[in-house]
Parts: sequence; C-alpha cells; structure tokens
Amino acid sequence: MPKSRRFFSARNRREWLLPALFIAPALAVLLFLSIYPLIYSITISLQQETSSGVVWTLGNFTRLFSDNFFLIAMVHTFVYAVAALGCEFLLGLGLALLLNSRMGGRGLLRASLLVPMMLPSVVVGVVWRLMLNPDFGAINGTLRRLGISTEGLTWTASPKLAMLSVIAVDVWQWTPFVFLVLLAGLQAIPEEPYEAALIDGSSRWQTFWHVTLPLLKPSILIVLLLRTMDLLRVFDQIFILTEGGPGFATETISLYIYRTAFRFFDFGYAAAMSFVLLALTNVISVIYIKFLQAKEAV
Amino acid sequence: MGIEFRNVSKHFGGASVVDDLSLEIRDGEFVVLLGPSGCGKTTTLRMLAGLETVSSGDIFIEGERVNDVPTQHRDLAMVFQSYALYPHMTIVENIGYPLRVRKFDKAQRVERVNRVAAMLEIESLLERKPRQLSGGERQRVALARAIVREPRAYLMDEPLSNLDARLRVQMRGELKRLQHQLGTTTIYVTHDQAEAMTLASRVAVMRKGRLQQFDTPMNIYNCPANRFVAEFVGSPSMNFIEGEQVTIGIRPEHIQVFSEPRDGAIAASVYVTELMGNETFVFLSVGTNRLIARAPADFRAEVESKVWLQFAEDKMHYFDPKSGESLTQRHKL
Amino acid sequence: MGHKKAQKAYKWFRYVLLVPALLFALAPVYWMLTISLKSEVDQFATPPPWFVFTPTLDHYYDAFVTRGFGEYLLNSAIVSVSSTICALVIGTLAAYALTRFELPWRLNRHLSLWILSTRMFPAIVTAVPLFLMMRDLRLLNTRASLIIVYTAFNLPFVVWMMRGFFADLPRDLEEAALVDGDSRLGALVRVVLPLVAPGLAATAVFCLIISWNEFLFALVLTQTDAAMTLPVGIAGRVTQYEIKWGVMSAAASVALVPILVFALALQKYLVRGLSLGAVKG
Repeated sequence: MPKSRRFFSARNRREWLLPALFIAPALAVLLFLSIYPLIYSITISLQQETSSGVVWTLGNFTRLFSDNFFLIAMVHTFVYAVAALGCEFLLGLGLALLLNSRMGGRGLLRASLLVPMMLPSVVVGVVWRLMLNPDFGAINGTLRRLGISTEGLTWTASPKLAMLSVIAVDVWQWTPFVFLVLLAGLQAIPEEPYEAALIDGSSRWQTFWHVTLPLLKPSILIVLLLRTMDLLRVFDQIFILTEGGPGFATETISLYIYRTAFRFFDFGYAAAMSFVLLALTNVISVIYIKFLQAKEAV
Repeated sequence: MGIEFRNVSKHFGGASVVDDLSLEIRDGEFVVLLGPSGCGKTTTLRMLAGLETVSSGDIFIEGERVNDVPTQHRDLAMVFQSYALYPHMTIVENIGYPLRVRKFDKAQRVERVNRVAAMLEIESLLERKPRQLSGGERQRVALARAIVREPRAYLMDEPLSNLDARLRVQMRGELKRLQHQLGTTTIYVTHDQAEAMTLASRVAVMRKGRLQQFDTPMNIYNCPANRFVAEFVGSPSMNFIEGEQVTIGIRPEHIQVFSEPRDGAIAASVYVTELMGNETFVFLSVGTNRLIARAPADFRAEVESKVWLQFAEDKMHYFDPKSGESLTQRHKL
Repeated sequence: MGHKKAQKAYKWFRYVLLVPALLFALAPVYWMLTISLKSEVDQFATPPPWFVFTPTLDHYYDAFVTRGFGEYLLNSAIVSVSSTICALVIGTLAAYALTRFELPWRLNRHLSLWILSTRMFPAIVTAVPLFLMMRDLRLLNTRASLIIVYTAFNLPFVVWMMRGFFADLPRDLEEAALVDGDSRLGALVRVVLPLVAPGLAATAVFCLIISWNEFLFALVLTQTDAAMTLPVGIAGRVTQYEIKWGVMSAAASVALVPILVFALALQKYLVRGLSLGAVKG
C-alpha cells in the first residue's frame, strides 16, 4: 500500500506558506549566485567588442577551434585527470583491500591519512615546492644521500618532469580519499556473500572479481565521479606549484581560462571556454550517474 | 456528540486506502478499529489526528468539523506504535511536554506529571532517559504523556504490538481499567482480534479500506455480517464448508466429536490432534473439507481414526458463496 | 596450522605496509613544519637535517607581525565563520522543508538534484562572471563579497548533508510533538534541532574547512591587503621574485592548524561528508 512518506501534505494554500518560506532564501541565494552568473556568462561569451560597439557573435566559440593553446590545455587536463585518477584508484583500492580488517590503530591511521586531503591547496603547493626544490628539497636531498645523481631533476622547473610532478602531488593528496571511501564501502559488505563463495569453492581471485567488485561498484563509481569532477577543474595546486609552467607545460584548462580572463582581460573568450568546460563536466557526470543508477537497479 | 466519520475516503494516487467510511463514536466509548495490515485502520486514525489529509468526506469532533483544523489544535492525544518518546528529554520532560507547549506553569506541570506517574507506577523512572527504559516502561511513559493532558480522546496505534506476549496480556488488562477510570473516548487500532474482543465496547472491522461491521464484540462474534468478519474474529477461526448454493460456517467450539457413531452424526477422519492442556484441538477431514474442533482436555484419538461429529444447529452460520454476505437470521444480543 | 601462520604473516605484512603509508602522508607536512622553524642556514644546508637543528620562531614573527599575515589570518577567520553561519541557517531550513514537506510536481526531487548540481560546477565557470558582477557592485576587495560567495558555495553542501540527517530522524517524533499541541516551528526547535545537533556541528565544521581552504574565488575577488585571505596571501608571496621560504612555511603551518584540529574532531563524519553522503564511513 502506498503510504505518504512525507510528513506534511499541503492542505490548502495556507499550508504551502511555511515550506515556501523555508526554501525561498536558499533558492534566492542560488539563483543570484549560481544561475545568474551563468546567464551573465553566456551573454558575454556571445558578445565581442568591435569598432562599432558590441555585437552578438559566435566568434568566441569558433575561435576555440583554431586556438592551439586551448587544445593543448585540454590535452593537458585529460592527461592529468586520467593519470592521476588511474594511480589514485589503483593505489587506493589496493590499500583498501589490504587493510580491510579489524586492526589496531585504525583511528590513528584514518586521522593521519586525512591530513593530505584536508590541507588548503596552497599549503599543499608550498609543501611540495619545498620538497621538490632541486637544491635543498627533501626529495633530491634523499636521492643524493642514496648516491643517485639529481642532475637535471629540476622537477617543477623541468619541461619534461613538470607534468609528472604535479600529477604526483595530486596522487599524494587524494589517494587517501579514495582509500577511505573504498574502505568504507568494503566494510559495508556483509559477511554472507564471502561465506557462500567459500563454501562454493571459489578462489581468492574469483571471489574478488565476482563478489567483492560488484558489491563495491557503487562506492567505486561515486569516488570516480567525484575525483573526475575535481581533476577536470584543477587549479589551485598547479597555480602554486608551476603557475602552468614552465612555459605552457602544465597549463590546464582552468588555468588557461584564468589567464585569459585576468591577465589578458578577454572575458568573453574566457566565458566561452568556461562553457565548454561546463558542458564537458556535465556530460561526464551524466554518464557516471547513468552507470550508477543502472547498477543500483540491479 | 463524540466523534463522527461521514463518508470519509482517502486516496493515494490511484489507490483507495479508505473507502467511504461512516462511523459514529459515542462519548466515553472504547472503539477498536480491527483488521489485517493494509485495511486502512491506521490511515483512518491518522486522518482523525490530522496527520493525513482527508480526500473526501468529513470528520466531526463534538459536532465541529475538523477537516481543516491543524493537528495541534484538535486536542487529541496519541500513543504511537513506536511510542515516539523524545530521546533527548528525560521522562519528566517527555510527559510534561504537552503541558509545557500549552504554557502551563511549572507548579501545575509538576503536580500533574507526578499524579499521572503515580497512576501508571512509573515514579521511579522520572529522571531517566527513554533509552534507559525497557519496552514495557516506555509504553507506560507514552500512555502517561497521553493522559497528562486530559484531551477529548485518546488515539492508540497498535500500542501493545512491540511487547512480548505475557506483557501484552498484562497491559491489556491495565489499559482497560485505566480507560474505565478515566472515562475518555478511546479509538484503538490493532490487527489482533483478541485485543479487540477484550478491550472494545464496540469493534469496527475493516478490510481493504471498507467498513465490514461495527458492533459490540459479542455481536461480531455471534452474528458476523459476512464471511470475512466471521473468519477474522475467533481463534482458532471458524470452519467453512463450501457449497454451490451456500457456504456453511461453524465455530470449532460448536462441533462435538464422538468416538462412537451417533444418530445424525457425520463421519470424519482425524488428521491430527493438538493437546493444549486445558483442551484438545482436533483437526479433521470430512471428504475434501478440513475442519478444526475443540474437544475436552481428555479427548484422545489416533491419526486416521474414524470419529463422528455433531454440529450445534442453532450455532451454524450461512454465507452467500459469491458475495460472502451473511444469510443467517439471528437474534442479536 | 600453516593457514594460521599465513594469517599471522599477512597481519604483520599489513602493519609493515601501514608505516610507509603513514610516513608518506605525513612526512612532507612535517618537512614544511621544520622549514618554518629552521634558521636560513639550516634551510639550505645539504644534506638537509630532518631532526637535528636549533628551532627559531623568527619566521613566524616575520610573517605575522612584520609582513601582515596576521591581517590575512583575521580575514580568513571572519569570512569563514560568517559564511558558515549564513549557509547553515539558510541551508538547514531548506533541507528541513525538502525532507518533511511534500511539494507539488515532484519539486522535492528536482530541487534537491538542482541544488546538488550547482556543487558540480567548476569554480572558474562562475568565478569569471562573479568577478564582473562584484566589480559592477563595487564589492571587489571586500570581505563581504567573499562571505556572499562562500555562502552560496557552501549552501548545496549544507542542504545535502542536513537532508540526510533529517531523513534519518523518524517522523514519529515530530508527529507526536504536533499531537501534543506544539506548532511546526516549535516542534522543529524543541524536538528536531536538538536531535540533529551532531550532524549540524559536523556540517558546520566541514563548511569552515572548505571556506578556510578556498583559493580561486579569493584570488579573483580580493587583491588588496584589506580583504585578502590567508591562502591568497601565501600564494602571492610564492610567485614573487624572492621567495622567503621560512615565512611561507610559517604562514602555511598556521594555515593548516585549524584544519587539523577540526579534521581530527570530525573523523567520524568525514567520509560521509566528502562523498556527499553516498558512503557512510
């Protein structure tokens, strides 16, 4: 029998007043500070300054196709996202699987692992600029002590190594997050399926593949979704670590948009690029969510 | 005056949960809404409380139409199935809450809470929190909270169903005494027909949102209006023998079982016997029909053995095979 | 018996894995802390000393007294606390309404999803127009602009988290309060809020952390000392020609202290919050 799951059903118009009053401020804030800016942004992206004043044009969007920097920034962003996500996921999953049991010191472990992801991104940037400093940083210092030459290992200043460095920093910061979410997901899996698999004679690998992974799918998808969204829009750490350099080596799309808007003051073009980024993240999140819902239906 | 439901219906989407219910409850009565889960009894109670809106029809309390009156102004008290005690308040604060909300001053609150606590024998629990109490104790607190206010009526939604069997029987008796003492109109929802029979002055039997019969417990037992009511009330339930023109119903206690053949008795074979201690249940096969009879405690018979049955003629019921309506003419008590 | 031995070995193996993981997570932060406490000589020494050095508080003094980081700290604190309070009040009310009231046209679901989706925007997408809007409103370089923006930033999160907490509360209790004679607002204040207080506290701390750490909007909207927050202050100095690492580290170390305190207090809710309630850690 369908039962009313809500508490209050609106009786008459007077009864709608209270919920409306409760929701209105939130809606107002979001309308003015999330929706309106988007509309504003669309407007300026479709305008360009010409000698005869402001015209409506798709010029900002068509320019995207011929702008090499934009395309390179997109490539950088994808490379960054895929590489970081891959490492974080594999490391996080591996750690979660290995540490999934009642162990002493779990609270301590969790507290310590929280540190990297709770830090302000600028602090992460400072920490790793210190670590990666070619002359007095701890990384090169340790390498030297182990007898390895650090010639040319200028990390964030090296065109070849800069991207690797920023990816590594992201992995350092966010693997704990993947680990914690997947661990929580693993621990939510009840004992029974494992016991049934044991009785059925399943090997460790088979159990992992046929029991653990499917039951972990929701957590996996959530963590992948959240990380992908965050990786595609990355800005803070890279800004501090390399400012997109050396040259253009680590310029991601958010950095390029920032530079276009606040160094070159080309707001219209920046807005156009923002929309491409927004569309991209929307499409990807929709795909993820479809996956997530499909799994839940099962 | 009392409480009246006039053609009350409740729909959710396309489904009709309560269908054209009309009931008149007199002042001071103890009315039980009885039926299986999903029959609409809880929804009816909640509509009376104002926690659900009425799709059509009217509800009157003491002559006043209350459909549009918000819950907090209806002056009713409710005991929830889960007791709904406020976990963050002490027992004193829980019981005193209705008074506090009505702006009673501290002295009055203290006096009333103590009086009610004494009535329900929970004085020793007053400073504790709900999570420290047993199920039975919580139930008393829920009751105390309901009666501290002296409302127009008490609404109870299966208040005993979360208690173990022995406690349930004990609380049943105490509830009845309490209501008798206080004399307030009570509407009580349950699926347990024993509770209905023992507590109610009148029972409203419901099925799939419709009222089946509204009468005293004895009348419902002896003169059920249809097959559903006949089968639902009474334990073990009534036996039915299906026929083309008519369905015959006979209660287990109205079948006499004989080990020797008798004039006019029907032959039957014993399926199994259950020795209950104070009586014996005999499960029988008659042709394709299965019957249950109640026999004296010392009755014994082997499985598959032959026995002879006599039905008390004046206690037999007749139902229409298609509609289930009662065809019996019976003198009502 | 072999099985038991394998189990034990496995257990030890796990502990062994734990130690490097912990070190890996904490060592860089520790390194930065030491830089903030080392004299300049020690900082540039090779090989760099990890544990043995004479600590000095010069850099801290330099940062917060001489170079004005104290002001940035104050700005961060004011902006974080104010925006958290605003977001909590507005968001909790909305969350309550969305959980407990039935709205027509399936608005509950649509509104909730919409509120959540605003959280998914890349910050830069709204940063550019917000800069222009604030410029037009002459609110650039003010704390107010940040407070407003951070409130909007935190709002979806508050609504989403509090919805979960309200949904976990059985509705019996509010119904009992109503039948007992309380008004809806009274029931909310007297019965509901005390029971979701832990959730409220956790959400508040999350918002404080998010606001405190935020960088992009602060960078875009504040460029003068009057309103600059700590992260922007730190970043500004890093990208200058001469980098005073001691000062940088001191400022950064102070920046992370409140976070650590909060995070430790919040452990239980952290996973739930960061995964937007999808996983209950």
